[in-house]
Amino acid sequence: MSRIYDRRSGDWSEGPAITTELLRDGEKVVAFAHQIIELARQVRANALGVLLYLADEFATAELRSEYDNPADLTELRATAVADPATLFEGASISSDEQSYRLFPYPAAGGEAIATGIALSKQHGLFFDQLRSVSEEQNFPVIAHALSAPLVALLAVPEAAKPTRNKPFMAVLYYSPFTVIAFFNEHGDLRLLRTIQHRGQRRPLNLRDITTTTLAALELSDPDVFILPLTRNADPTVLVDLQSKFTKSRVDTVDWTQTSFSHRNIPAYCPELLIATRPASEAMTGFSSTYESLVADKWVQQNFLPVPLEVAEIYPTHKEVKLLRTIRLARVAVVVIALLTIAWALLGLFQMTRQPAWAFEPQEAATVQKSVAALTVERQQIDHWDNLLEDRSKGWTAMELLCRLFPENSGLLVKGFNHTTRPEPAPGKAKVGFVKEWRITGFTREEGLERLNTINSRDGINAIFAEVAKVTGNDAYRPDVGNRSTLVNVRLQENNSFRPRSTEELLTADTTSYRHSFELIITQRFEASDPLALNVSKAP
Amino acid sequence: MYYRQSILFFGLIIPLLIAGLVVGGAFYARHNVAESFSTKEKQFKLYEQNKRSADALDKDLVTKRDHVKRWKSLLAEETKSQVNNHIRKIQDSPLGKEFQQTSTESLNSQGGFASVSAQKSSQIRLGFRGTYRALQRAFLDLETRMPQLQMQEIKIDANATQASMNNVDVTYTAWEN
Repeated sequence: MSRIYDRRSGDWSEGPAITTELLRDGEKVVAFAHQIIELARQVRANALGVLLYLADEFATAELRSEYDNPADLTELRATAVADPATLFEGASISSDEQSYRLFPYPAAGGEAIATGIALSKQHGLFFDQLRSVSEEQNFPVIAHALSAPLVALLAVPEAAKPTRNKPFMAVLYYSPFTVIAFFNEHGDLRLLRTIQHRGQRRPLNLRDITTTTLAALELSDPDVFILPLTRNADPTVLVDLQSKFTKSRVDTVDWTQTSFSHRNIPAYCPELLIATRPASEAMTGFSSTYESLVADKWVQQNFLPVPLEVAEIYPTHKEVKLLRTIRLARVAVVVIALLTIAWALLGLFQMTRQPAWAFEPQEAATVQKSVAALTVERQQIDHWDNLLEDRSKGWTAMELLCRLFPENSGLLVKGFNHTTRPEPAPGKAKVGFVKEWRITGFTREEGLERLNTINSRDGINAIFAEVAKVTGNDAYRPDVGNRSTLVNVRLQENNSFRPRSTEELLTADTTSYRHSFELIITQRFEASDPLALNVSKAP
Repeated sequence: MYYRQSILFFGLIIPLLIAGLVVGGAFYARHNVAESFSTKEKQFKLYEQNKRSADALDKDLVTKRDHVKRWKSLLAEETKSQVNNHIRKIQDSPLGKEFQQTSTESLNSQGGFASVSAQKSSQIRLGFRGTYRALQRAFLDLETRMPQLQMQEIKIDANATQASMNNVDVTYTAWEN
């Protein structure tokens, strides 16, 4: 029979029918494997575990006497799997046909530290086919063969509730054999013995065997617990033992009254529940034997493991975990790479949206040449603007003369000389210049006032400003730049003067003027003046 | 742990290397493009600045080009003949009867503004006799027609025989192209 356990819900349900015939028929095993994988897929499971509880055989093998150090148990456990012949007594030990596992006797003072459990590999075909279909279907199936009596042994403290500080023995009653486990008063396992039924319904010589074994182990009046693990348990076994152990507690465990009972699991198959439930405090705290059985998983030893050479081609659990972790890391790396590409593309996209992206550098050169050409043109224009400034014109000089000496002002001009000369300034881009007016003539008394006006700073500036306004010539503006205007008037007595009456006066008659004069006006333009002259050649 | 190295190598190291190449490539590409774009952006800004300058300059110069053209044609002519031509035209006007040109002389020495400027120039001395107003108008006319004339010296003397007439000597520096 088979049952399906859903770890997520904790529910048990009936599984596909499984018989001894099926286990030995390759084609049926394949069909069975397909069936259970399909069932697993239907409930969206990502893996499947197949536990085969071997309850059709059980044999022990004696550990050679030289192996008596409990500290070597771990090493011996591995040796039992790989090279059982070196550990166990018996010349016919063949690891090709039999599967050996070490099982400890943790009780102190015992003769042996462990025993060997031997099971045949008759169900190897079933596991091989199962693993083959798993591979073919690409669906993980982990197959594990457990010894049913060893699993059942684990339930003794909780199911039988042995009396503290009293030895006891557990009679695991299967259909083809009976396993008797002897425990000392501390609850530690001393010995496992098997009685094959050899076609009988119950173990023969049970009383004798237990009596001699108890004597050999020096255990007296132990409690006896019968664990019925077959649907056809013979009740006379209880009676038989009760008659033998009259001073002891002799009980048959009723599985339906224990925690190892479920409505979908037959009462005689508690191993399914024992193996799938976490160990309780009642188990681990019962004795050092049980603590070791749970902690070191002695009862969960697989009797039909994948051959080492085949197992090596499959990844280990750690490797699968590593693979999953790496998958996450890879996703993170891919995300980082994609984000980086997105970042780069975004940057590129933002750049392409700028007007500068479509810009052709040749255009810059063209515009630069154009600017250079226009700048030169501008410099040329500025240069000629400067050279052609109205800084010195004949007609304005003549206008100044008129404004200096208006008609009938009592003044007669006889000579006028106006010069313009630059003031050299080596190394400078511009030079200033000096304009000089030298005027000679005669004046009567009324003309002296005019000469005085001309000779004053305000007077000459007013006349220059008037000329500038009338002619539009900025060279006469006294308010531009740092222009300075100096006036020098020199008066002399006219030696040829002859006094006359007003009626006799003639403008052109020089003898009618009491004074002669010489007027010198000097106007200086600095190099910083807007009218200063460029000394360079046109660009 | 038969597959540990393979898992690490093919599952982590190779993808890390590929991702490293991709990330490195993305960084390198963006950095390169950004650097190139930055240079281009600088050129573009310079281009825009130059274009604005060119537009402003062109706008400014477009109003002056006609004047420049006229200046250049004036400056290209020989000064003495140009002065004489203009004086003849002025003398053909009603004003011409009130003054006479008494002399025209080209000077070889570089005086006045010409002595400090590297710009090509020539010097010319003119002599006139006429009424004051006529001569002033004639100078106004001549100097307006020939803005390249920079007066270096002017000397005015009253005519000894005719009271209303003046003798004028004027020396010009004429800029030439």
